[in-house]
Amino acid sequence: MRYKNYIKWSRMPTTWCPGCAIGIVFKQLTFTLEDIQMPKSEMSVVSGIGCSGRAAGYFDLDSVHSTHGRALPIAEGIKRANYKLNVIVFSGDGDLVGIGGNHLLHVARRDVNLTVICINNETYGMTGGQMAPTTKKGTKTLTSTHGSAYFPMNIQQIVTSTPKHFYARSSAFRISHLQKCIKEAIAWEGFAFVDVISYCIENFGRRMGFKSPFEMLDKIKQDYRINYKPEGLLGDFELGILKNDDQKS
Amino acid sequence: MKRLTMGNEAVALGALKAGMTFFAAYPITPASEIMHILAEKEGEIEFVHAEDEIASIHLVIGASLAGSKALTSTSGPGMSLKQEGIGLAHMMEAPLVVVNVMRVGPSTGMPTLPAQGDILQAKHGSHGDYSPLVFYPCSVAECYRYTMEAFNAAEESRSPVILLLDGFLAHLSETVDLSKIKVEPKLRTFKPLGHGNRHFTGLLEKGGIPRTKDTAYYREWYQRITDKMQKTANNYRFFEYLENKTADTLLIAFGITARVIRPLKHRYSLFCPIRLFPVLEEELKAAAAEHERIVVVEMSDGQYQGEVERVLKRDVLSVPILGGGISLKEIEEKLHAL
Ligand SMILES: Cc1ncc(C[n+]2csc(CCOP(=O)(O)OP(=O)(O)O)c2C)c(N)n1
Repeated sequence: MRYKNYIKWSRMPTTWCPGCAIGIVFKQLTFTLEDIQMPKSEMSVVSGIGCSGRAAGYFDLDSVHSTHGRALPIAEGIKRANYKLNVIVFSGDGDLVGIGGNHLLHVARRDVNLTVICINNETYGMTGGQMAPTTKKGTKTLTSTHGSAYFPMNIQQIVTSTPKHFYARSSAFRISHLQKCIKEAIAWEGFAFVDVISYCIENFGRRMGFKSPFEMLDKIKQDYRINYKPEGLLGDFELGILKNDDQKS
Repeated sequence: MKRLTMGNEAVALGALKAGMTFFAAYPITPASEIMHILAEKEGEIEFVHAEDEIASIHLVIGASLAGSKALTSTSGPGMSLKQEGIGLAHMMEAPLVVVNVMRVGPSTGMPTLPAQGDILQAKHGSHGDYSPLVFYPCSVAECYRYTMEAFNAAEESRSPVILLLDGFLAHLSETVDLSKIKVEPKLRTFKPLGHGNRHFTGLLEKGGIPRTKDTAYYREWYQRITDKMQKTANNYRFFEYLENKTADTLLIAFGITARVIRPLKHRYSLFCPIRLFPVLEEELKAAAAEHERIVVVEMSDGQYQGEVERVLKRDVLSVPILGGGISLKEIEEKLHAL
């Protein structure tokens, strides 16, 4: 099946601002689905609330758009009720790591066989650009007007804290790497989290002085390097895949 | 076979009999026995001891959309946490059952004395307008029966049905023969996830497309949903009416309170609504017409009395029994003092 068939064209154009990173990631996901020839009847996409959370509705297959932060438990319920469905969670960092952070800890611990694609744009895009748990220290936002006083949440360490785990960090710029991460995450038997370094130009970037989405994408290109053979954890500006299927300890 | 059975156990058994295959909850007294009993069925059913009540309600919503008959159970503090999810299930039209075993609130309150203070929460707990189906049994046998009916009503209305219990009833043990109680289970009326290109969302939508700025469509949609709930409710007119021809006063009570006041049937007429919401309007009006005085006896500060007054459009007296203690003597004294 062609990637176009995974998209609900009657819903276009999307609500996303011109140049938004979410569209890039959304499209890479549909390319990956084409690549692995995923039948539409064997999958479902679940989102929370936020700009990223609108993604579920743009898939031409049965999809669920839940409440803010609750994409993971909804997805777990679906998966446990029908083990044959491939359940993909597509949502924002505020949704998955902020308000839904407790579910992230526990769904990862229960190692539910889900694929999570997290749009990590370091802000709450939909509500105007407030500080997210992923916002870098010192960054000024609507709710950190003097610069965030806190270190960002270390999603990598949370997800890899269970002996068996899959954590991938990719970016909206490295699209072939992103596809590879998504593909491996879907194939992974267990909880797989793909942390996609993204950006939000309109509600976040402009305030920081970026003039265009291109400048933000270019910054991600400059800052992040792929580490194909990570030993231990990924560095703060490294992209790569950490996986371990150790069932024992 | 007759067997000594606890209210909570009857709920668990009723759910299994109704075809429930998915259960998620977080421990809380006085609801935990439902969870303990169903934990033993892990393998036959999907059982999740979730991280909290927010997760539990969303787990059962997911399971429901994927085709399972699903149940979650809790008590006051957990019920408060579930409210956003309950609204989502109404919006998505996901059938499921939520059991709330009421204890004294607000907050942690008086754990875990019985109460009936979550009546209006059952109706209005989530934000926005919606009209839920709420059942409240008043014996162990009824816990079993109305759990099954709650599952049927959920399927028929495609909505989250609330089954209220109080801490007293949940822990009450009675000798019952549940095998004699038969309720034909209703089947799912829509296909599970994986069968189309439907979009289940908490947004107002039409054909999977959000209609978030369309006032006229909201009104049309709201009418359809309200009619659907009322139509389903009409098939579930559950109540018990013990008329006393010589009485000038009608007592209305439910759950454990209805059991406690039963000896008063020689002096008063007794009406025990089992379907609390939508309020049994016709039935209450008919019973009330025969009486000079209407009194609601309840373990809250007049929550249902206000509802009854609204429906009957006449004065209704309230006998509130607060703070978790209930005795026939106190109720009689309060009735005399009215
Ligand atoms: C319970 C609740 N609280 C707050 C909101 C308001 N809200 C909507 S989206 C959002 C933040 C979304 O941020 P993120 O998940 O990072 O997604 P993005 O918009 O950046 O893609 C918030 C706070 C809500 N919908 N529900």
